[in-house]
Amino acid sequence: MANEPEQNEERAESAPPERASAASVDGPAAAPDGAAAGPPAVRIQGLWKKFGEQIAVNGIDLTLPAGRFIGLVGPNGAGKTTTLSMVTGLLRPDSGLVEIGGHDVWRDPVAVKSRIGVLPEGLRLFERLSGRELLGYIGRLRGLPGDEVDKRAGQLLDVLDLSGSQHKLVVDYSTGMRKKIGLAAALLHNPEILFLDEPFEGVDPVSAQTIRGVLERYTASGATVIFSSHVMELVESLCDWVAVMAAGRIRADGPIAQVRGAAPSLQDAFLELVGANDRGAGQSLDWLGGGGAR
Amino acid sequence: MSTESAAVAPRPAAVPSPTAVFVRLKLSLLRNGLRQSTGRTLAYIASVIVGLLFAAGAVLGLIALRGNDHVGALVVLLTGILTLGWAVMPLFFPTGDETLDPTRLVMLPLRPRPLIVSLLVASLVGIGPVVTLALITGSVIAVAHGTAATVVGVLAVVLVVLVCVSLARAVATASVRLLTSRRGRDLAVLSGLFIAIGSQGVNIAAQKLGRPDGLSVLEPLGNVLRWVPPASAVSAVEDAGHGAYGRAAAGLALTALALVLLLWWWQRTLTALMTSPDSSTLQAVEKDSARRGGNGERGLARLLPDGRTGTVMLRTLRYAWRDPKSKMAWATALGVGLLVPVVSSVQGNGSIYTAFSASALLGMQMYNQFGQDTSAFWMVASTIATPRDAYQELRARALTLAMVAVPFVTLVVVGAAAFIGPWSDFLEVYGLSLAVLGALLATGALSSALFPYSIPSEGNKNVAPGQGAIAWFSLFGGLLIGSVLCAPLLALTIWLHVAGLHHLLWLLLPVGAVYGTGIAELGLRLAAPRVARRLPEILVAVSKG
Ligand SMILES: Nc1ncnc2c1ncn2[C@@H]1O[C@H](COP(=O)(O)OP(=O)(O)OP(=O)(O)O)[C@@H](O)[C@H]1O
Ligand SMILES: [Mg+2]
Repeated sequence: MANEPEQNEERAESAPPERASAASVDGPAAAPDGAAAGPPAVRIQGLWKKFGEQIAVNGIDLTLPAGRFIGLVGPNGAGKTTTLSMVTGLLRPDSGLVEIGGHDVWRDPVAVKSRIGVLPEGLRLFERLSGRELLGYIGRLRGLPGDEVDKRAGQLLDVLDLSGSQHKLVVDYSTGMRKKIGLAAALLHNPEILFLDEPFEGVDPVSAQTIRGVLERYTASGATVIFSSHVMELVESLCDWVAVMAAGRIRADGPIAQVRGAAPSLQDAFLELVGANDRGAGQSLDWLGGGGAR
Repeated sequence: MSTESAAVAPRPAAVPSPTAVFVRLKLSLLRNGLRQSTGRTLAYIASVIVGLLFAAGAVLGLIALRGNDHVGALVVLLTGILTLGWAVMPLFFPTGDETLDPTRLVMLPLRPRPLIVSLLVASLVGIGPVVTLALITGSVIAVAHGTAATVVGVLAVVLVVLVCVSLARAVATASVRLLTSRRGRDLAVLSGLFIAIGSQGVNIAAQKLGRPDGLSVLEPLGNVLRWVPPASAVSAVEDAGHGAYGRAAAGLALTALALVLLLWWWQRTLTALMTSPDSSTLQAVEKDSARRGGNGERGLARLLPDGRTGTVMLRTLRYAWRDPKSKMAWATALGVGLLVPVVSSVQGNGSIYTAFSASALLGMQMYNQFGQDTSAFWMVASTIATPRDAYQELRARALTLAMVAVPFVTLVVVGAAAFIGPWSDFLEVYGLSLAVLGALLATGALSSALFPYSIPSEGNKNVAPGQGAIAWFSLFGGLLIGSVLCAPLLALTIWLHVAGLHHLLWLLLPVGAVYGTGIAELGLRLAAPRVARRLPEILVAVSKG
């Protein structure tokens, strides 16, 4: 995004201007609080959520530093979506504290809601608007002036390769196109912190590369991206910080090198952390394959 | 199917006419359908027998009515209903006839005109056309008196059957794309409304016909329909019997013209369908890109206020038009709100107070505002940080509603005063209507905050499973509280009447307008902080289904 709104000065002081390389991250990461200059992007304490008998999020404590590209990984049902929903104020926790940029999400929504951008998962958009109308709608709801919204919307649609479909109703978009328009809607007001739930799901390789470019440029300016994903290679190549979740708890978090530890790749470290390495599919499915009778 | 398929494939030696091919294809499909299973065979034979029995009974009934004063109107109406049936059948049973599925014909090297002729002839084979033929023949026999009428009658039977069949084919062809696209699915949601209104119409009609001398009520309708093709051909038979040859010729000509137009339309859509790729989405793009041009919406956007208010209003208006569920809710509210006074005045026991239905039904549109957003409500929730934001959001929605409701209520009350009367009650009813509208906006805003529920986007249901109680409770509770809120005004009205202060009744208009506005504002102000506090709870409630 070439156009920088006023929020940007505020952000520049709270985070390093350049995205640190993986090697140099190790230094400050020794102190878990990250950059001592400003408050962490997200601070979670004792976060709990139960759906009936099912404990979806089981007392999470987590501090995520500002200005980083942060990956939240975990197997299906680990509680990533639930956590992100509670952190962004879309789902009320049973108990616990969430602070974004030092502001309590539930007590100080004015400070929080203008600072964050959200791409939730499993929630719809206003699909009976065209892509451009949707951006115009959300931008104006965010209180941006109309001209500015239209300008930014045009640029975002261009960059995300949606210009050709900008006048098509979102209900006629494909899965990947919806992700992209959702991403555009989340970026429109130039938030300090971006929460993306599985932003690369259903996105083709070319668009994924585009999204990576946009997000990398965005974090380079000092903003924070927190996204959930199942694709370890992607997380490994994009993120400088990861948090691993399983069964509603944080199994590990920190700079990527630290989480990876001695394992050859993040994938191996992940499988070890969530305890799935020995759960091979070999023994129980011995009837499967070979083209034999039934 | 081996012999049949050999017959279907064009032989190199002597290329058979496509008509013969299609007729044989149709017959073999019928035969193959019979061969598949005994159950199916039995069902098919049963339906044929029932169809033929029904047709025979109807024909005998029609012939028995020959000479009745109103039989002319009856046969005209019967033809009209039959035609309507042929027109809507392909929409409800899109896969009725495989020979006629144009997408299966794409590969055949056929020119449009012979193709149309052969398809038309092939469509005449089947139980439907036979029943139609029988009914129309019976109708013609019922009204044909004299040689000239008989000649016209033969022509009329042929024309009517051809019009019916080609109408069905043309509609089917035109709707192929529609029924496989999103727009088609949208239409399916609306079909419930059509069926509801249609059944209401049938209900009223049956009641009227059931009365002694019920057939006479058909006359006015028959007078209109007799000039509408293909019924005009049937009425031409009667005219010919009376010696009105000019009218008879005109009736036949109208139907013939309709047939030509239908065939032309069918051929055009068929050609378009067969020569363009399956592009339901491409078409949507083309159509939607028309939206870019400075059309009405742009102008509308400029008229609306700036900021959240205008933005939300514009979105709500777009949804009222584009979202099938919103559209249906609006159509129902507007339609029923208008229908209640109209029907009651037609039945002769009308009162100007039936005009309240307009403000009641439109006011109820304010209920469950956020349920109408479905889970997209998260976009609203993530931009509401203060009660003030929530207030603006609610107020914008109420304003949109008022923008439609106030003129509509005005119209209905004026109409009720004009057609039912008396005009002397106009001002008080108008004032009370505005008060009712305001009270419902207020309770609607509050119940949107406190009792939200999901509206499933597919199908005809308007409440997600398990939330029916909330929906009924909020609607009826709201209506009850709304009427309690209007009690002071009602009391004032009654008092003015009882005390004989009729010259002061006009006061109710300004008082009602101010009261309605005030109570709506109060409701919005009460609801706003609750919305702001309950955002996650509302999101969960509206995200089901
Ligand atoms: N609305 C709900 N009602 C009941 N249970 C829920 C609800 N939402 C989530 N859960 C449960 O909470 C747990 C965590 O779910 P969540 O969606 O947060 O997982 P996730 O990590 O996002 O998984 P995935 O990778 O598949 O998206 C799961 O066991 C799920 O069944
Ligand atoms: Mg998830």
